[in-house]
Amino acid sequence: MIADFRRRRAGMVGLGFLVLTALVALAAPLFISANDLSAAFAPGLPRRAPSGHFLLGTDAYGRSMVDVTIWGARISLTVGVLATLLAVGIGALVGVVAGHFGGWTDTVLMRVTDWFLVLPVLVLATALASVLTPGVGTVVVAIGVTAWPTTARVVRAQTLSVESRPYIERAKALGGGHWHVMRVHILPNVMPLMLAQATLTVSAAILTEATLAFLGLSDPTKVSWGTTLQLARSVGAFSAGEWWILMPPGVAIVLVALAFTLVGRALEQVLNPRLQERM
Amino acid sequence: MPFPNPRRRAFALAAALAGAAVLSAPAAAASGPAQARGAHSQSAYSQADPTAVSSSGKTLTVGVTSTIDSLSPFLAQRALPTQIHRLMYDFLTNYDPTDDHPIGALATSWTTSADKLTWTYTIRDGMKWSDGQPVTAADAAWTYNLMMTNPDAATANGNFVANFAKVTATGNQLVITLKQPQSTMLALDVPIVPEHIWAGHVKDIGTFNNDTQFPVVGDGPFILTGYQKDQYLTLDANPNYWRGKPAFDHLVFKFYKDADSEVEALKKGEVDFVDGLTPAQYESLKGQSNIVTNDAPGKRFYALAVNPGATTTTGQPFGDGSPALQNQQFRQALMYAIDTKTLVTKTLGGYGTTGSGYIPPVFSTYHWSPDPSSAYTYDPAKANQMLDAAGFKKGSDGMRTMPDGKPLNLRLMGETNRPDDTQDATYVAEFLKAVGIATTTTLVDQGKLGDTEVAGNFDLAFDSWTANPDPDAVLSIQTCATRPSAPGKSAATDDFLCDKNFDALYAKQITEYDPATRASDVKQMEQVLYTDAYINVLYYPDVLEAYRSDVIGSWDKQPQPKGVYWGQDGYWSFWSAKPAAASAASGSSSKSSSSSTGLIVGVVVVVVVVLGGGLVLMRRRRTASAEERE
Amino acid sequence: MSITASALPDTAAVPPAPQGGAAARRGPVIPLRYVVGRLVGAAVSMLAVVFTGFFLFRVVPGDPVRSLTRGRAMTNAQLATLRHQFGIDKPLISQFGDYTSRIVRGDLGTSYQYKTSVSSLIGSHVWATVYLVGTATLISAFLGLRIGVRSAWRNGSRSDRANTGIALVLWSMPTFWLALIMIMVFSVGFGPIPGMFPTGGMSSPNVHGLFPVIWDHFRHLVLPCLTLVAVLYAQYLLTMRATLLEEVGSDYLTTARAKGLREDDVRRKHAVPNSMLPAVTLVFLNLGTAVSGSILAETIFSWPGLGSLFYEALTVPDQPLLEGLFIFFSAAVIVMNLLAELLYPILDPRVRTS
Repeated sequence: MIADFRRRRAGMVGLGFLVLTALVALAAPLFISANDLSAAFAPGLPRRAPSGHFLLGTDAYGRSMVDVTIWGARISLTVGVLATLLAVGIGALVGVVAGHFGGWTDTVLMRVTDWFLVLPVLVLATALASVLTPGVGTVVVAIGVTAWPTTARVVRAQTLSVESRPYIERAKALGGGHWHVMRVHILPNVMPLMLAQATLTVSAAILTEATLAFLGLSDPTKVSWGTTLQLARSVGAFSAGEWWILMPPGVAIVLVALAFTLVGRALEQVLNPRLQERM
Repeated sequence: MPFPNPRRRAFALAAALAGAAVLSAPAAAASGPAQARGAHSQSAYSQADPTAVSSSGKTLTVGVTSTIDSLSPFLAQRALPTQIHRLMYDFLTNYDPTDDHPIGALATSWTTSADKLTWTYTIRDGMKWSDGQPVTAADAAWTYNLMMTNPDAATANGNFVANFAKVTATGNQLVITLKQPQSTMLALDVPIVPEHIWAGHVKDIGTFNNDTQFPVVGDGPFILTGYQKDQYLTLDANPNYWRGKPAFDHLVFKFYKDADSEVEALKKGEVDFVDGLTPAQYESLKGQSNIVTNDAPGKRFYALAVNPGATTTTGQPFGDGSPALQNQQFRQALMYAIDTKTLVTKTLGGYGTTGSGYIPPVFSTYHWSPDPSSAYTYDPAKANQMLDAAGFKKGSDGMRTMPDGKPLNLRLMGETNRPDDTQDATYVAEFLKAVGIATTTTLVDQGKLGDTEVAGNFDLAFDSWTANPDPDAVLSIQTCATRPSAPGKSAATDDFLCDKNFDALYAKQITEYDPATRASDVKQMEQVLYTDAYINVLYYPDVLEAYRSDVIGSWDKQPQPKGVYWGQDGYWSFWSAKPAAASAASGSSSKSSSSSTGLIVGVVVVVVVVLGGGLVLMRRRRTASAEERE
Repeated sequence: MSITASALPDTAAVPPAPQGGAAARRGPVIPLRYVVGRLVGAAVSMLAVVFTGFFLFRVVPGDPVRSLTRGRAMTNAQLATLRHQFGIDKPLISQFGDYTSRIVRGDLGTSYQYKTSVSSLIGSHVWATVYLVGTATLISAFLGLRIGVRSAWRNGSRSDRANTGIALVLWSMPTFWLALIMIMVFSVGFGPIPGMFPTGGMSSPNVHGLFPVIWDHFRHLVLPCLTLVAVLYAQYLLTMRATLLEEVGSDYLTTARAKGLREDDVRRKHAVPNSMLPAVTLVFLNLGTAVSGSILAETIFSWPGLGSLFYEALTVPDQPLLEGLFIFFSAAVIVMNLLAELLYPILDPRVRTS
């Protein structure tokens, strides 16, 4: 399967880019100090165009856009990944339980899932984010709680197909409890699907994080791509034509979201044999 | 749906574009019913009243980002409709454009009785409502009486009539009898409405928004002729206005949700004036051709409010403000530790003035500044010394503790959607840390900040108020009576201030009819606030505006010489605005022709790109098919 | 961008065949039990939405009375009157009672800030949203499906990779960012590009005559519509491509080819019609979510639709308006879902013929 994945160029490019981004984000504290990111004691003058000293200019506080964009990756990636873990976790739990137990449990859980699918997500996330204390955790919860239904549906479908396989019957006949069957037989079978689903959800989560931050529902003291764009908008950088404040975070969001999507699609193709023949 | 010949791809694209064009037609028609319900479209009213309105003449277009909650003078709470009411209706009095002192408007003169309880106003002769009916003292009496007797009608301006005992009209005399003397009787910012129109709306005054019949009958310099919620509001010059007809025939307000697109609209000439610019926007507009920028002292102060230990009107304490803040020396030390100059240069980009008295300096009659010896000038050494003296000792880590040895950590609250807060919070935290005071900054949205403040669960919070030419309103919010009636109930302010000296002075100035004595009372009140150090004014932000000089030739600021065009107390800017000489010949048509030139160029570019792209695709497609069919 | 945070539709996200599919196989008629089941399901969802609507927006922080009177010197008596008018001086449980009895009567209440009935506010703003979202959906569905078919048919070719790539890049863009860039470039002009479109709004005042009015509306529509199309069309493209790819290997296509049919005819007469349905169903399903999904585009382009209305209501918070919009947004999705679920077994040729 890994070899399969490696043959998919787009997926590999995406993966490579993500690994690089993650490394840079992790290493950021080594070359960016707290003062570089302080609004009060920023190293440069506010909103200066790119120059030899600040390769991408400075933001509204006078911080280097290079530093801000690199640091933003930390929050944006963290939120994206954590929110996805939460969403896929809830989705997988609901999907596996619904698919395994069937009957009323299935009906009720799927009803709840359908209901969540119906709720306007941005509206729901906005409301959640404003109820809880602002911060990274809140944004994670707001995204996680609203993004799980798709995963639940997909996982349930897969669980149903796994359940119909003969060895599950055998396991049940041999006295395997629900927990045992779900953990030992079903989970490993839906795991790859969850992985594909997760990579696709990350890009959506990163976009939603930016959107919530842009609407002012994130903690503005934390540097993320979303809060950087929100700050740019609130000081009027767009109409002032200060492209160097707008492009780096926006392009970063596009690239990372795209990279996750490419990896997700490649994974899906690897996992879906029917598609595989055709590619 | 089968796709026939692949070569028709270009046609398909063209069809898609055409589809969009066709779709816009039904929508234009679809907005019809919505207009018929409430606001009529421009064309609808021009058919209805061809004499009052024509599309010819000079138009001044104003971009706004705020919203209109209601066009009824009895209901409107927001600043924008209040400003528009100034244009639609004459008030009893107005404020002078040069220095904001009260002058006559609907009333030409006034007298007071010896006991200070009766005010008699003489109403201007010969004024007419836009439907031809005379404007009378009875209209004014009816308006005030309605607000005094009907709680729904008191929604917006009830505070102005709360102290009225009786209002009557005889001939051209309007007589107002007060319960207590009240020095703000020349600052009654209440639109006077025509009784013969509004008498029919008393039943539903709580829900009637004054937007069902256009033009709206008024007596101000402009007549409201149309309103499309979230789109635009149109007014026409009142040809019979007593002070003279405005030079612009039409005044249009265009609504924007996004300040950036509004500024772009100014650059393009879609609007002729915008206010509330950020320093970045202001600087980008400065020096552009055909654009004039205006940097004027604002009417707003921006302060660091200290939780004085929240209490209700009955004195019941609530909330969990830090006990350290009960110590006056501690509060004053905070102010010595904060460098307001840095805040102005960094946060405001220099567009502002450092804080002193409670009333902003733009209102020179009432503004007070401490003399240099007692002013809180940035002096960390002095702050340290005061804190030491007050018993807040530094620990081994350099951070101070409470006199009883308990840890000291102040919660600093700000609002996420007010960009100043993020920056100021960082600075203030750093300044306080430098004198050994630990803080925890929390920035939340407006609603949540409100809830926290109402509950009294904060230590320091950023607060901002706009003052009026008459200082009463903004002073009244710091009296004991404006505290909440019960814990956690919202009141006009969240500052919870209650100082007996302040209240005594407040009571004195409200009964003081001599302007000079009253001004000195007000200054004393500011001094009390300053020494108390509960509401610490950090700075007064400037108002940044810009207009198109190819449309507006000249117009008046208020106050003069350095004043604002938008947010005036009065209608001076729009009433006095003269069209630019260059645009006098062709007016707005030159603008539209230039924009359609741009459009034609744009369409040509799009067509070229589409056709070019289509050709490339088709060629590539042929080779691709060849490859695939191998 | 999908602010709906759902994963990008792909093979896995093709609209699921209704569970009643097995029953439907018996004949072209959908069993009554299936229809009733769907209707009941929709009703239950609606009920849940009504309940959520209330509690969700009551826990949103902020006191409407405080924020509406902000910056004005109000007496405590005035504030009390307002609180009474809004009915928020009552305990939560009796507020809920008022709310449910209102909703049962079909009354969405009166907006706190606009003092107008919520249903008339929705009524006056819904057309702007339908006009924008409808046009954008039509164009993006048309483009997406068309390119999707081509891409699948030339699977792996350079044009397929280019098209899929462009769609994915556009899909990865934050809507608000793309919208602001659009204004910077096409509205104000950037470098050699002239600013040719208005910066915001749906129409200009002072435009008269049928043709100028249509032209004016069209000019205002272009940028917001393009923005939505850019972020929406990817999912149609990818869905169409994925379903068609599944179809391409089918035996009957091989048979058709063996019969000597031209490649174009195989595609046009057999493959495309069979894979059209899932994609069309997706269009239906998305139409519901797109209504609430246009909040950001509406805000940035100052489009006077439901999205802007919601954005304004949230800052107060104007609870009746928020509840009304929430119910409306959700109902739109529920109704579209219901339509899709009811139509699917009738229309799917495979379900019918097998």
